[in-house]
Amino acid sequence: MANSNLPRRIIKETQRLLSEPAPGISASPSEENMRYFNVMVLGPSQSPYEGGVFKLELFLPEEYPMAPPKLGRICLDILKDKWSPALQIRTVLLSIQALLSAPNPDDPLSENVAKHWKSNEVEAVETAKEWTRLYATGA
Amino acid sequence: MDSDEEIHDVYDGDSAEDYYYSGGDSNMDGGDSIGGGEDEDDDAGYGYGYASDEGSEKTYTVLREDDIRQRQEESISHVSAVLSISRVAASILLCHYKWNVSQLHDQWFADEDRIRKSVGLLTKPVAMFSNANEMNCGICFDSYPRDQIQSAVCGHPYCITCWKGYITTSINDGPGCLLLRCPAPGCGAAVGHDMIHKLASDEDREKYSRYFVRSYIVDKKKTKWCPAPDCENAVEFELGSNVYDVKCLCSHAFCWNCTEEAHRPVDCSTVAKWILKNSAESENMNWILANSKPCPKCKRPIEKNQGCMHMSCTPPCKFEFCWLCLGAWSDHGERTGGFYACNRYEAAKQEGLYDESEKRREMAKNSLERYTHYYERWASNQTLEKLSDKLKEPESQLKFIIEAWQQIIECRRVLKWTYAYGYYLPEHETAKRQLFEYSQGEAEAALERLHQCAEKELLVFLGNDDGEVETQPDFETFRPKLAGLTRVTRSYFENLVRALENGLSEVDSQAASSTSVSSKNAGAKGKGGKAKSSSSRSSRTGTRNIDDVNHWNCERCTYANPESSTLCQMCRNPR
Ligand SMILES: [Zn+2]
Ligand SMILES: [Zn+2]
Ligand SMILES: [Zn+2]
Ligand SMILES: [Zn+2]
Ligand SMILES: [Zn+2]
Ligand SMILES: [Zn+2]
Ligand SMILES: [Zn+2]
Repeated sequence: MANSNLPRRIIKETQRLLSEPAPGISASPSEENMRYFNVMVLGPSQSPYEGGVFKLELFLPEEYPMAPPKLGRICLDILKDKWSPALQIRTVLLSIQALLSAPNPDDPLSENVAKHWKSNEVEAVETAKEWTRLYATGA
Repeated sequence: MDSDEEIHDVYDGDSAEDYYYSGGDSNMDGGDSIGGGEDEDDDAGYGYGYASDEGSEKTYTVLREDDIRQRQEESISHVSAVLSISRVAASILLCHYKWNVSQLHDQWFADEDRIRKSVGLLTKPVAMFSNANEMNCGICFDSYPRDQIQSAVCGHPYCITCWKGYITTSINDGPGCLLLRCPAPGCGAAVGHDMIHKLASDEDREKYSRYFVRSYIVDKKKTKWCPAPDCENAVEFELGSNVYDVKCLCSHAFCWNCTEEAHRPVDCSTVAKWILKNSAESENMNWILANSKPCPKCKRPIEKNQGCMHMSCTPPCKFEFCWLCLGAWSDHGERTGGFYACNRYEAAKQEGLYDESEKRREMAKNSLERYTHYYERWASNQTLEKLSDKLKEPESQLKFIIEAWQQIIECRRVLKWTYAYGYYLPEHETAKRQLFEYSQGEAEAALERLHQCAEKELLVFLGNDDGEVETQPDFETFRPKLAGLTRVTRSYFENLVRALENGLSEVDSQAASSTSVSSKNAGAKGKGGKAKSSSSRSSRTGTRNIDDVNHWNCERCTYANPESSTLCQMCRNPR
């Protein structure tokens, strides 16, 4: 089935994700389909997301790594036109975590976010907290 | 519904107009301006002068693919010689500089290092080559003997299979492949076009070379692609002319200024308003989701894909904007810290407002297709061949049929735009409205007669199964009739176009006896109040059956005159 002819690259990436997980991030493949991962990213402390656990579903399409992993509704440049097959699942998850941390307005990773943050930090932080409360706790 | 409101807001606002209208000003500022155009003012988009002697002086040139390729070759040779770099490097640079040779020269000689860095033309490898016999591919993670590993100048090692996958993915992603870079994060070394040609499949190589040709005209100030689907020609425009209607060799007629289909007699801003109005009127998300839109910055059509409203135009433009409001993405409230859930889209989806791909196909029809249909059906050489066969007439003797159909197509287009004109004609300008409706009605009636003759009556000669074979009419009677109708219809529409482009100014000076046909007609029978002027629909069906009522048809021009008149109102031929 899908798991039997898994490319070596995916197997290697999975092994490394399990054996050396990045702090605050867990990614475990589903048993039925090794291309499907359940991901949890902790809201970084000192960030508006603190205390939240972001649950994400990550899927590696057939074309992976030529095509980026699919990650629900998340909009991240490296999941789109900035994707390179030399990037990995780990890189993607670290980027998400980085965005969740107190955004650094000069961080090119989140240029658009940064603009908003620069211009209206209070409102942005409030919105983020609200979203954390609504979507990322409890559920 | 929330999203509806937003859409209306957008379409009502001035911003929408600006966006269609600015004619690419936005990408003309800054250092990226493309030369060649000699910065003539770009705002000439308003006034259309009426080209009184049409066709006598073309204000544009159609460039075919071969013409473009030849120009590219010349530029590459030139840059390669002047900069003392390889042809491969020269063509990478030219792609980055949108084929603006002089700008490339200036910047290169001002700061070669900076240019090399920004386009990824390294002079030496940055990655350390180990001396091992086996190397690890950075994509599939497998190890390979040295000869199976390839790199760009930077030296980052990937196996041939992975390179091939990388290249084919990039080519299939669009013209961005022309600026392909090494996959290593942060590397940026340019991948040479020679390497791509070597590793790409035949099919991909073909695509790549198409993109290469097309890159020549992106963002060029005085040259634009013909917007007809599948047409590979470009049109080079004589800046300074203010008649924007151009006709490509493929027969597609479009406005060079806004690239909508040709839209005389209305101006570009009215067209933009009209299009937006109609789209806003389709009320739900369907229309918006179904269509591609021009990039707000470079005007290239961007097709929406998948759920996200965050659009990025294809390289080299890369403008990021919101699909819903066409505003810059950077102005949008991505306030969730990088997660943008595209709420409006999700909401619409949940409410079942669209069923993605299905409706998309259905909706993504544009008026172009209609004209193409006419053209293929009637105005094509095939029709001519078939007729020539049946009638044993040389094709050269049948040109009048093609001319009739070209006239019909052109008039249909003009007619369509007159509705936009009428919509924006102020209600209180009663006299103008009347003149407008009258002239429009007359022109439309003439067109209907021509259309009827060119279609129904022609069918008989074509021997179509559904054309009832009554008494076989005489082709020699048909010929002058159709030619006459073509001429008459052309003159009606020329008058209509001229009148509308003059802002219906005849109304202001109606007392003075005018020489223009349309005002004469208006004076003669405008008040007679033919009921048809009020509704175009009824006028359309009305003329179809015009023979049934009390009319007489002019011998000379076939115009249907009211019983009461003794002279033909069209050509003044006595009854
Ligand atoms: Zn490989
Ligand atoms: Zn590299
Ligand atoms: Zn064309
Ligand atoms: Zn226009
Ligand atoms: Zn663009
Ligand atoms: Zn998005
Ligand atoms: Zn007549």
